[in-house]
Parts: sequence; C-alpha cells; structure tokens
Amino acid sequence: MEKESINKIKLGIFLVIGLSILGTGTYFIGESNQLFSSTFRIHSVFKDINGLQVGNSIRFAGMTIGSIESINMLSDTSVQVDMVIDTDKMQFIKKDATAIIGSDGLMGNKILNINPGSISGKIIEEEDFIGTIIPVSFDNIIQQLSKTSENAALITGDLAMISGNIKNGKGTIGKLFMDSVFAENINGTIVNVKDGAESFTQNMNAAKKSIFLRGLFKKKTRAEDKKKK
Amino acid sequence: MPKSKVSIYSSYQKLTEGIIHRSRSILIGLADFSMFFIRYFKELIRPPYEINEFVKQSYLIGNQSLALVGITGFIMGLVLTIQTRPTLAEFGAESWLPAMISVSIVREIGPVITALICAGKVGSGIGAELASMRVTEQIDAMEVSGSNPFKFIVVSRTTAAMLMLPLLTIYSDAISMFGSFVGVNIKGDVNFRLFFSQAFAQLSFTDLIPALIKTTLFGLVIGLISCYKGYYSDKGTEGVGQAANASVVISSLLIFIIDILAVQVSNFIID
Repeated sequence: MEKESINKIKLGIFLVIGLSILGTGTYFIGESNQLFSSTFRIHSVFKDINGLQVGNSIRFAGMTIGSIESINMLSDTSVQVDMVIDTDKMQFIKKDATAIIGSDGLMGNKILNINPGSISGKIIEEEDFIGTIIPVSFDNIIQQLSKTSENAALITGDLAMISGNIKNGKGTIGKLFMDSVFAENINGTIVNVKDGAESFTQNMNAAKKSIFLRGLFKKKTRAEDKKKK
Repeated sequence: MPKSKVSIYSSYQKLTEGIIHRSRSILIGLADFSMFFIRYFKELIRPPYEINEFVKQSYLIGNQSLALVGITGFIMGLVLTIQTRPTLAEFGAESWLPAMISVSIVREIGPVITALICAGKVGSGIGAELASMRVTEQIDAMEVSGSNPFKFIVVSRTTAAMLMLPLLTIYSDAISMFGSFVGVNIKGDVNFRLFFSQAFAQLSFTDLIPALIKTTLFGLVIGLISCYKGYYSDKGTEGVGQAANASVVISSLLIFIIDILAVQVSNFIID
C-alpha cells in the first residue's frame, strides 16, 4: 500500500514536471509569435512583396518588434501587408516611417524592415498606413546584368571585327602593321624628312652669317640674354 | 492423368488453399480488431472507472520509461547536432543549428523515436503480460467471477499509454534540445539563453500541436495492438512470445503509417 502511494507521488511529480515543460514551451513559442504581448496593427501597400509570407518578422532598428499578420491582394499592382507590432515600440515609429522588404542574411527568410521616420514627426496610430520603399529585387539585378552582358557582347564583336581588319591589313592601322610596302614608304618618308631637316639647318646657319639677316639674329640673342638676367 | 501433372495440380491446389486460408484469417483478424477497437471506446466512457489500475499503468508506462526515453532523446539531439553542423558550416549558417534541430525534434524525430521506444518496451510488456494472463486462465477467471477484465486490463493500459506517450515525448523533446545545446557547445560557444531563443524563434503551434496529437494516436495504437495481441493469445506458452513479438512489430509499422498520414493531414489543414 505504501509502495503504491509512493508510485502515485512519483507519477504526480512526473506529470507536474512534464506539464511544466509543456507550459514553458508553449509560453516561449507564443511569445515569439507575439501571442502574450499587447500589440497594435498597421498596414502597408506594396507593388511587389518579393516572397514575404505571413509570420515573417518585422525589424525596427535591427530589433524584431512584430510579425506579418496577413497579406491581401488589392489589385494587380498592389498588395496590402498587415503587421502586428508590440505596443511598447509604438512611440518610436512615426507617421512618415517607411517599410522595406529585405532578407535575413543571404539564405534567410524575408523580413520587413521599418525605417523610423523623421524625429519631429507624429507618432503612428493603430490601423495607420505607412509608406513603402521598393526594394531592389534579385530579378532586377539579373535584368540589369543581362543588359550589361548584351552590351559587352556587342563591344567584343566590334573589337573582334577591328582586330580582324588589322590582321588582314585593312585600313590605315592595318596597313601600318601588316603592309610591308607601306612600311617601306613610311621609312623612305622618314629618311626624306631627315634629309630635309639637315638641309634646312644648313640654310639657317648660312642665313645667320648673311649681311642682311645678321642684325636680326644679334637683336634676338640680346633680347634673350636680357630676359635671362 | 500422368503422375507429374497430378503433383503440379495438387501443389497449385495447396497454394490456393493456403492463400484463401491466410486471407480469411487476415480478414477475421481485422474484423476482430475493429470490434476490439469499438469495445475499447464503449468501455472507456461507461462507468465504473478503474482509476487505481489506470494510475498504476500510467506509472509503469510513464515513469518507468522515462530513463530510456531520456537517454535516447539526449543522444538523438547530440548526434543530430554533430552530424548537421558540418553541412551548415559549409554555408556559414551554423547559427541556424538551434532552429533546425528544434523544428526537426519537435515535429518528427521526438514523437517517432519516443513512440518506437515505447512500442518496444511498453508494447512487448503489455503483449507478454496479457498473453500469460490468458494462458494461465486469469482472464477467464475474471470473467467467471463477474468482473469486467476488458475494462480492468485493456482500457486502463491503452488509456495510460495514450496519455503517457505525449508526456514522454515532451520530456524527450526537452532532453533532446539539451543534448543539442551540448552538441553545439562542443565546437562552438553558444550561450544557453541565445540557444533557446533561437530554437523557439522558428517553432510555432503548428509544429507543436500536430506532434502532440500524433503521439496520442501512437499511444492508442501501441496500447490497443499490444492488448489485442495479448488478450486473444493462444498456443500456450509459445503464444506469449508470439504476442510480445507481434505487438512490437505491428505497433512499429502502424506508427510509421500513422506518421505519414498525420503529416499529410496536418499539412493539408495548415496550408
């Protein structure tokens, strides 16, 4: 009989501890879903919610302050997102606050970030609507990248054509690189220019010694000396 | 008719008779089990209630299985964490460990492993106990003496199993989470509070409630199958072993079948 009552006490302890664990777990799960805290509701209308789901977190200054309660499609270009937020955080959010959809890390869930708004702005009220900022979606980035790669393909095509022409000796640069006759002509021209320059120097030297022009050159030399002093 | 043709014909006949006999016994077994199932619910709500026997069985099923369930749960959480960590570390997502482990333990691993352990420990115990009671004619004696053996033996054990299994699962989940916390801290340094806040952040009632309902069904199945196999045992002492064995095998199989059905139903309701 005594053993039976001891067993009953053990069973009672087993039940109490088990139910306490269940209660604690329920409380913590409820708390993470804002079930046991006082909340208020605000809304936002987005053009594209980027995969945001009911239950996703709402962050304000990096803190999780609420969750997405419901998402409803209003029209083909607008989706209303209803949020529940802890009442004690209400005072920090202003009427001109804005919401932007982001993600929790590279692989994490989507989250809704609320920017606080201006310091002098009025405090937000229950059932208010806040503005939204259109996030840069991954699709947009891909679209931009695709345009860039299309342009790069066109440029490389042109470059390939130009290098092909140069290789085949077409155009001035092509002839310069590939045509041996053209190179010889240029060589000859350079030799002629060199000869011409030498003759010109000789003529100038002769002119300096001539009676008619000697005075002019002396005057020029004096002016230069004066400048140096 | 040639001799070889006669032997082929007779072997076909034996095979057909065997199949018919086997199908018949399966169908009879199913019908008997259905009657047993209905009778359980009838006897459950009809007074008088065998409270003392129910409490005794709850103690035997709950308290006596706690150590086994606890050790298994701890190892399960620890091993799961150690095995999962390298894969998550490759993506730099080690901080997801607590959330991932908690969801998998609460939703699936905790209930199923606890149920399988109970099917082994409790199911075989009930099957063997009831079969020996049948063999030693204790059940017949109870019937003759005017008491209701079904209520005393079957209802108390099945109800105790049905109510104790969710509780054991809660213990198992909690101990597994602790095992996981130890596992996380073997190669890292995560604060107890941070670990549990990360673990609970990803849990919701849609994870917890279906799991608890599922474990109640697991308990019902373990209790009913074991009691049925023991209550209708025959073949003397050989039947005791067979009843214990069949209780474990059929209960384990049904646990997996119920599990897949429960997952489908809960996903359908939640989505």
